[in-house]
Amino acid sequence: MMRWIAPFRSAFGRPMGSVAGGWLVFLIAVAVLAPVLTPYDYDVQNLANAKMPPDAAHWMGTDEFGRDLLTRILYGARTSLTVSTVSIGLSLMAGLTLGAAAAYFGGWFDRVVTTVVDLTWSFPEILIALILVAIIGPGTTGTMVAIAVAYLAQFTRLTRAQILSLKSETYIEAARSLGASHKHLLFRHLIPNALAPVLVAAMLATGDAIILEATLGFFGLGAQPPTPSWGAMMSSGAAQLFSAPWIILLPGLALTLTVIAINLFGDALISALDIRTKLRDA
Amino acid sequence: MLGFIIKRSLLLIPVFFAASIVAFLLIHLVPGDPVDSLLTVGSPPEQRQILTERYGLDKPLVVQYGIWIWGVLQGDLGTAIIMRRPVADLMADALPHSIALGASAFIFYTVIGVSLGVTAAIFRDRWPDRAIMTGVLFGSTLPSFWLGLLLMLVFSVWLGWLPVSGARGASSLVLPVLTIGLGGTALVARITRVAMVETQRKDFVMLLHAKGMHPLRIQLLRVLHHALIPVVTILALRIGFVLGGAITVEVVFARPGIGTLLIRGIMQHDYPVVQACLLMLSTAVILGTFLGDVLQALMDPRARASLT
Amino acid sequence: MTKHHRHLWAGLGLGALLSFSAPVMADELVAALKGAEVGVSTYDMLKAINSNVASTLIYDPLIEQNANHGYVPALAESWEEAPDGLQWTFHLKKGVKFHNGVDFNAQAVADWLAMFKGTDFEYYLGAVKEIVVVDDYTIRLDMTRPDPNLLYNLSTPFGGVMEPGARKADGENYGLTAAVGTGPYKLESFAVGQETVLVRNDDYTWGAANATNTGPANIERIRLREIGEASTSFLELQTGGVDMLLGVPQEFLSEAAKLPNVKLMTMPDQEIWYLVMNVTAAPFDDIRVRQAAALAVNRQAIKDNLYGGAGNTPSTFMISSLPEEKVADQFRIKFDLDKAKALLDEAGWVAGADGIRAKDGQPLKITLWTQSDSNFRRVTEVIQAQLKDAGFAADILTFDSATIRDQYKAGTHQAAVRSYFYDSATILDWFFGGDRLGYPNISMFNDPKAEELRKVAMTGSKTGEEFTKNFIAYHEYILSQFPFAPIYEPVGNIAFNADRVIMPETINSPVFQRAAIMDLKLAN
Repeated sequence: MMRWIAPFRSAFGRPMGSVAGGWLVFLIAVAVLAPVLTPYDYDVQNLANAKMPPDAAHWMGTDEFGRDLLTRILYGARTSLTVSTVSIGLSLMAGLTLGAAAAYFGGWFDRVVTTVVDLTWSFPEILIALILVAIIGPGTTGTMVAIAVAYLAQFTRLTRAQILSLKSETYIEAARSLGASHKHLLFRHLIPNALAPVLVAAMLATGDAIILEATLGFFGLGAQPPTPSWGAMMSSGAAQLFSAPWIILLPGLALTLTVIAINLFGDALISALDIRTKLRDA
Repeated sequence: MLGFIIKRSLLLIPVFFAASIVAFLLIHLVPGDPVDSLLTVGSPPEQRQILTERYGLDKPLVVQYGIWIWGVLQGDLGTAIIMRRPVADLMADALPHSIALGASAFIFYTVIGVSLGVTAAIFRDRWPDRAIMTGVLFGSTLPSFWLGLLLMLVFSVWLGWLPVSGARGASSLVLPVLTIGLGGTALVARITRVAMVETQRKDFVMLLHAKGMHPLRIQLLRVLHHALIPVVTILALRIGFVLGGAITVEVVFARPGIGTLLIRGIMQHDYPVVQACLLMLSTAVILGTFLGDVLQALMDPRARASLT
Repeated sequence: MTKHHRHLWAGLGLGALLSFSAPVMADELVAALKGAEVGVSTYDMLKAINSNVASTLIYDPLIEQNANHGYVPALAESWEEAPDGLQWTFHLKKGVKFHNGVDFNAQAVADWLAMFKGTDFEYYLGAVKEIVVVDDYTIRLDMTRPDPNLLYNLSTPFGGVMEPGARKADGENYGLTAAVGTGPYKLESFAVGQETVLVRNDDYTWGAANATNTGPANIERIRLREIGEASTSFLELQTGGVDMLLGVPQEFLSEAAKLPNVKLMTMPDQEIWYLVMNVTAAPFDDIRVRQAAALAVNRQAIKDNLYGGAGNTPSTFMISSLPEEKVADQFRIKFDLDKAKALLDEAGWVAGADGIRAKDGQPLKITLWTQSDSNFRRVTEVIQAQLKDAGFAADILTFDSATIRDQYKAGTHQAAVRSYFYDSATILDWFFGGDRLGYPNISMFNDPKAEELRKVAMTGSKTGEEFTKNFIAYHEYILSQFPFAPIYEPVGNIAFNADRVIMPETINSPVFQRAAIMDLKLAN
């Protein structure tokens, strides 16, 4: 367990990493605590109070239905974070399995996996996602599967490359000659050793997934109203660009800060891991 | 070398067919067909069947695919069911807009990205390097549709300098190009910087330094020249994404183009439009990858060995 | 091919750069089409599935509608229907010429009607057994059955008379590079998705009498621009790039009113928003629950808060300008939350602590389907909140417009927010006819009494008065069964630069089209 905590601690130790990590922890906290933090409901409309600019009662103003925008941004964080982590988690597991199996077994299996995966790579992810949501049906499930499929290629490729380079290392050869089973080799030796870069990639992909979720929301897909989603909030805000620009600005700001934080933290993590490797080599 | 290119291009054929199957299946798997959108008030109940047969949608999927791909191979992309025009015409109308946007953005991020990367590498580990690389990271993480709307708000609504959207005149290109360009800049700048830094460590560079050549001359003439190889390879790979990368931005700025055409096609289930556009986008990426591979092989014989 | 080259240059920004600051010509009206009319693919009216105001300027129909949806003579001077409804005779205007100089006569009409065969509009003439040229200026349609839609269909833009020879000669290009009718304007150029340029037909003297000016038109050239994005078209009006917006989106109305020189006017529209309930699926298989939902929709609140007070609060299924909308007052559906609650109590749905009603331990939960674009989501979110006030817990499910039609066919839906564009009473037959269950009859309403009234209205109406009377009876019965609840009736908002455009005082057509443009003038 310690070997997974150490780089995180190290990443937090860097200045950029601590700011970014701090924001992410803060965001997760307010998303979880949203019902306690805000006196408003995210779904109760007050049409008479619509499109009020930010003031003491509504720190971020109200939306076109008179709902408190801050409250909706907090609940929107739940949607963004859940959808992105679940979908990347799904994608990661599938990618690890496929990539590892392709690299380990090689041959025609490898070729089929690589071709199929390369093929999904060649279609713009937003289109794949749009069509998959239409196939699977409305709601967050469709969005999650769509995002998972969109990033599958990346994880599969990365895992495959990692395993391929590990496969030829002497200790694997040794274990195999000692009669270790496929399962043992894959799950005990290969995957754990290939994991670090794939996990960092997954962390960075979570940022992209948040954007993709928001983009789908912008196209009217994903979380069903009145459940807030940053993308959907921005899409309805686009119509109020002149009269109530905060409806589009503020959710976008929350989204941007989060994605930047994820990237900065990911970068810090990469540096941390590099140092660790160097230390070990030394 | 020629043998490698021939071998590699033969591989493109099955990939193209696989892509066409995916493009065809994806949109046909979506529940619902375009016919309901064509039913107008007052048409008799049997009209649905008549139209389904007229557009060949009653045939088995395999047959429909066969008819379509046979047409495509002969240069006939079919006629849009809802948009009612030959798909080739629709694409011919949309493509110039997408190419104008994509190419401008491509040039924008290549020029800016390489300049920033070179500057960062020259000032490696000093403050200009840090400032550029952090700035570039910020640029790359902004979600394009929000950035687009933000730019629109500032430059069009508040300042009134540029048109909000549409595709009238060169000024309407500025905001969309900026929106796409900022994201691409990060990638190019990062790669340029890494390639430069690696080259800086090479023996011949050390030698030039020892000979007393001016450091800036070394950087700009020799290091950059050498470092451009991986940058060009990556850019070649990116060419395929030029069109597909503009989709969201086209929609946000309400620009005509392949992206808006495709989104409209998907929403209306206009099969021939979606199939043709998807196939074109994916073929562009496949060809871009091919181009990248060939360039890489030309420049680095070891890669050729690993690819064949 | 030249066309594509031109697009290519425009797309690369070079051509566009050169023509960028082209001044607005003094005798040219530049108007931006309204959102719903953007995206017309061709002016071949037998291929197009949507039309815009330009089609009503290029082509004249045989008959036109006035503001009250009464029929006025256009290319047909008069017409009569045989007492049994099995024969229609049209007497045509004399001295009319198509844009290419070809004479307009009975043979031209017959050839034009013959072209319907094999197109998606063939059903327009589905009841026509034979087209008979009686003499040069008389044409007769012999029918297999009476067709209540015939006159209406002939009066729409799709009934615009095309010159048969030109359509045949131009083949695939007809409707794109050329379009030949008898209308007050000729097609000069059409860049699909961008703009249509029209020039005045100086020979035009046969305009229908719903305009004061029967020809030629006052304005020499009209440039109709397609600007998909609402905020852009608004900015164009602001900066003088267009003289007129034929549709001002709701969110820009207050902004537009602030602009100096800009005047706003409203025109009736053809759209109704409504909530449709599946009468075969619980809980809406109980008429009291349907009625309760219908009464819980607060139309005034929607009009005031979502649409800034513009538009109408409909109480029936039809747009307010139709005579068949004039049902007896007791059938009109109006907001009454107390009665809605009482009806739900009566049906056994008792209010729980959280306001959601329940019956036998089952909460009053429904799913509310809607389409994924932001307009639909907006209205549906308000309906969801209003239904909650009455005790419904509604979950929203969004689909794209093509998928949702397919999903209706499964019949598993409970309720949906929808809108339709149409301005004839036969819309009832389309959406509530028992032979189109699933889609378009989403309510799954199939009731013997309704079917009988429908049959009388559709096939038993000999005259205009009978048509209205029969459709009112059918309409009233449907209203009494609550398979739907009206939500909102939009109006068309037009904004124009008063320094440039002189608007006629009255416009005697259902929407802003030929009749309005004929009387329009440009200030000099």
